Amino acid sequence: MKTITVAIAGNPNSGKSTLINAIAGTNLQVGNWPGVTVEKKTATLKIDDLIINLVDLPGTYSLSPYTQEEVIARDFLVREKPDLIIDVVDSTNLERNLYLTVQLLELGIPIILALNIYDEAKKKGYEFDIEKLQELLGIRVIPTVATKKEGIKEILNAIKDFAYGFYNITPKKINYGEDIESSIKAIEENLKVTNPLLLSKYPSRWLALKLIEGDELVMKEVDLIGDETFLQEAKSHLFKSHDEDIESMLADIRYGIANGVTRDVLKKKDGKRVDFTEKIDRIVLNRYLGIPIFLFAMWFVFKFAFDFSAPFSDWIDTTISGPVTKWTFHALTVVGSPQWVISLLTEGVIAGVGAVLVFIPVIAVMMFIITLLEGSGYMARVAFVMDRLMHSIGLHGKSFIPMLLGFGCNVPSIYATRVLETERDRKLTALLVPLMSCGARLPVYVIFIGAFFSDHAPTVLWSLYVLGIFMAIALGFILKKTLYKGFAPVFIMELPPYRVPVFRDLMIHTWQKLKHFVIKAGTYIFAVSVIMWFLLNTPYGVEKENSALGRIGKTISPVFEPLGFGTWEASSSLVAGLIAKEVVVSTMAQIYVKEEVEEEKEGVDKEKGFIDDLKDAFLSFGFAIRDAIENLISGFGIKSLSANEEEEQRPLKSKLQGIFTPLTAYAFLAFVLLYWPCVVVGIAMKQEFGSWKLYGQALVIHSLLAWFVAFAIYQGGRILGF
Amino acid sequence: MIPLALIGGGEKAEIIDFIKQGRGILSRLRDMGFFAGKIVEVISNEGCGLMLLKVDDTRVAIGRGMAMKIMVRRLQ
Ligand SMILES: Nc1nc2c(ncn2[C@@H]2O[C@H](COP(=O)(O)OP(=O)(O)OP(=O)(O)O)[C@@H](O)[C@H]2O)c(=O)[nH]1
Ligand SMILES: [Mg+2]
Repeated sequence: MKTITVAIAGNPNSGKSTLINAIAGTNLQVGNWPGVTVEKKTATLKIDDLIINLVDLPGTYSLSPYTQEEVIARDFLVREKPDLIIDVVDSTNLERNLYLTVQLLELGIPIILALNIYDEAKKKGYEFDIEKLQELLGIRVIPTVATKKEGIKEILNAIKDFAYGFYNITPKKINYGEDIESSIKAIEENLKVTNPLLLSKYPSRWLALKLIEGDELVMKEVDLIGDETFLQEAKSHLFKSHDEDIESMLADIRYGIANGVTRDVLKKKDGKRVDFTEKIDRIVLNRYLGIPIFLFAMWFVFKFAFDFSAPFSDWIDTTISGPVTKWTFHALTVVGSPQWVISLLTEGVIAGVGAVLVFIPVIAVMMFIITLLEGSGYMARVAFVMDRLMHSIGLHGKSFIPMLLGFGCNVPSIYATRVLETERDRKLTALLVPLMSCGARLPVYVIFIGAFFSDHAPTVLWSLYVLGIFMAIALGFILKKTLYKGFAPVFIMELPPYRVPVFRDLMIHTWQKLKHFVIKAGTYIFAVSVIMWFLLNTPYGVEKENSALGRIGKTISPVFEPLGFGTWEASSSLVAGLIAKEVVVSTMAQIYVKEEVEEEKEGVDKEKGFIDDLKDAFLSFGFAIRDAIENLISGFGIKSLSANEEEEQRPLKSKLQGIFTPLTAYAFLAFVLLYWPCVVVGIAMKQEFGSWKLYGQALVIHSLLAWFVAFAIYQGGRILGF
Repeated sequence: MIPLALIGGGEKAEIIDFIKQGRGILSRLRDMGFFAGKIVEVISNEGCGLMLLKVDDTRVAIGRGMAMKIMVRRLQ
């Protein structure tokens, strides 16, 4: 058995993660903007008796890191000494990518260069002299199209050949000229004697170069301040002969090499010059149209999400509250289970988990659209468009990317803040992220919107998401003046070309995101449902109002009184929502389920057997698909949630209609949107920032914010006469 | 020699020099392909907010403050 570690490095957005997915069949996150991967991830591949560890690294423009995720990439390359580096290069921008390659050569580690995105380069009329490139750099060069799995076999063979020693890769040693080379030598010699330990930690040539440059990060790591005599001596002749700073001088040399190599190996013929990207950008990035287009696109998304998912949600709802409950009840009765077990399973678990499962279709559609957005290239544009607004809160447009990702789930967004430049920016952004409406809040919205606003469903849903963005800006404004003083650092970001996402990727990554919610329903929500059932049934047999949960709810309810929803049911559901926001719905469903099951028991359709019910379920699923497609085709406003109103109302909905008014319902939704972030976000914050302090701040600030906003909506609405 | 921020949309310019600023920022710019001698095309410059540039075949958005500190020569 032989094991080799292969690091995948390269500029951001050059297709590193896509390449690993193609090689190893993994499902690493990909997306068409720089900064998707912010953590190193390992994929292991076994071929015959060779174990290959492929390490996906965050993208980086150089080995002098600027942001958090670049530090991760550099640290791995420099300290972990991988056996081989696959340098993934964006062929459409060879020169700048080679600038990094030149730095990788300094590490003295064998390199295979993947000339990726070869398809787009060819379309542009670029022609590469692969042989020449190999010869000039002394490394393997293989053209690849990671999205189409082209060149993957060649890469694998190259890795194998290298691992078994059939093929030697000796990267060229770039000559930096006599002056520098003598300094490098002097430093290496000195360290060999005085600090051999250091040399065993870092590649020696690279280290010497960094010491000559005076790279602040490296100096700090190796505990040198820069005026050590041996350094001064080694560098003294440089100062004499070169007045500009040595760092830029070295950079110039590297770019000089990158430029020279590019000129030698790349011929640009005139390819097709229809640049769609530029045309779209002219509209999408327009100063006046940018934000309206973004908001309209969002509205359209909700319209689509509602229309397409409604029939499926209805189907799940009917199936769970009908046959599933009925047959579980029967099965349990037949085996003679005690009353409380039946109640736990039907009124606790099925009602609770079921209430959340009903909304999986909406969440699925949302995740699909977010994945589409991620793959298209629009993500980076939103950062561009939002920059001005974000400046008002002392951040810049890039902060909006983690926020936008938060529409899927807030947790990855906390990690995604790594692409930001300063600690303050990262913390402030992480504090605002939970105001972005995540998938877990959808079930709450959809059930209330179905009950109160079904005629304007997409618009109301849209208004909640926009309220979230708006409140994030408002809160950011306050925080900028108080806890997080400061101003936006400079903005610099690459805008990738628009791309059509690969369908397979789209499906896989939608599922990756959706999976999280399905698993959550089967674990968290399941567990919470059981706990809630116990709280609702202690002491056993009393009215729900007097149960433990009822009493907890009643104690807290005065807090919510001024917001219009001071019932014990709403209060206890909200408190339980700390675990996960779906729990608000699952708990309400449990509280309001009792009578429904009673009714169901009486009205059990004795005629219909199990098989009939099963058949019905299948048939109605077929209808659901038909309805969904019909909704899509008929498009705007013709058939949406309200269209199904003639069929019987679901009990939870009608119960809610008895308790809330449209005004209190909206205040409630605003509250659910804004109030304390779930514990999983808290854990992510702790991991990322090293203490619970940030989550503590979030709990307090967001809950206060939610309270005041809901208060304003309810009291304001009352004054206006709603 | 004028700041890049004053170059209008559709025009090209050659980078001549950088006005000293935070060390990290300068090297960042350089790592992303902006260095003396490089030709940049301004795709859009709306007088305020971000500027959209094209270096080689890559679009890069940069803040105006930074564009004020990149000194260029306008090309025809
Ligand atoms: N046309 C084309 N697109 C590609 C190719 N390889 C990757 N892409 C696309 O390029 C984009 C970036 O891919 P990723 O794999 O996320 O890039 P990455 O290098 O991991 O990016 P970071 O993690 O942000 O550094 C995605 O939209 C891919 O679909 C390719 O060979 N051809
Ligand atoms: Mg990646």
